[in-house]
Amino acid sequence: MNLDATFAALADPTRRAILARLARGETSVTDLAKPFAMSMPAVSKHLKVLEGAGLITRSREAQWRPCRIEPRALKEVDDWLEHYRRFFEESLDRLDAYLKELQAGEASSKRKKQDGKHGRKKQPRS
Amino acid sequence: MAAKSSLDLETDPRSIIGMREFDAPRELVFAAWTDPKHLAQWWGPNGFTTTTSSFDFRPGGVWRFVMHGPDGRDYQNRVTFEDIVPPERIVYRHGGSGEDLEPVQFQQTVIFEDIGGRTRLTWRGVFSSGPERDRLIKDYGAAKGLMETMARLAEFVAAQA
Repeated sequence: MNLDATFAALADPTRRAILARLARGETSVTDLAKPFAMSMPAVSKHLKVLEGAGLITRSREAQWRPCRIEPRALKEVDDWLEHYRRFFEESLDRLDAYLKELQAGEASSKRKKQDGKHGRKKQPRS
Repeated sequence: MAAKSSLDLETDPRSIIGMREFDAPRELVFAAWTDPKHLAQWWGPNGFTTTTSSFDFRPGGVWRFVMHGPDGRDYQNRVTFEDIVPPERIVYRHGGSGEDLEPVQFQQTVIFEDIGGRTRLTWRGVFSSGPERDRLIKDYGAAKGLMETMARLAEFVAAQA
């Protein structure tokens, strides 16, 4: 599955509205088209994009070919955002710990200097 | 932990804004970004280590590094610095080839503010990928709508159970 295709498919407000409708349960194309002032071919075109991105599937069993949402693709985007959040949160946690370490090192090296010993400075250069 | 942090997806639909405060002077927080020796100590999520192959900290300069994941996978990364104003601001573009890490390019702005001897860091990511930038920004706006869809989906699944 391609995240770019997923994002591209989701870029359109009509397609997001279609997904929101499908999140409430599987629906026929005719029922999907109703809330939108749109021709059936136009709705079919949107469905094709959503299907291509793996966001929906269309049953071939029933005559009315119901559309249903495919949560896996949505989950992939959600995972990506979660990945980003983790990167941000945990990097900054680690930075916080590292800054404390640097400051502790700096304080102890100052003490050592006052004691007349040769302390190694841990302060970074900029 | 005294550190405060937040991640904001609402203020600007084109960007993800993160904020954190540190009990350290601004110069020190800024310095932690300026040397691969320091970056290796904190960059990346828990369990990741970073190996830098080149580091050129100036506008237009590139930082090339590999992030080693806890699962043993390596993620190639490239950061291009666009603007550097010590000790206030770093702007860079981040693009990676690791499929799990950065499937699209981001422009990141890091702002360092002095708040009475402490430091507030703001980390803002905006989708950026040359000619694709506008499309990606638009698509990212979709991610917000997507989160709403996800919430509805969760309700739906819960209702079925």
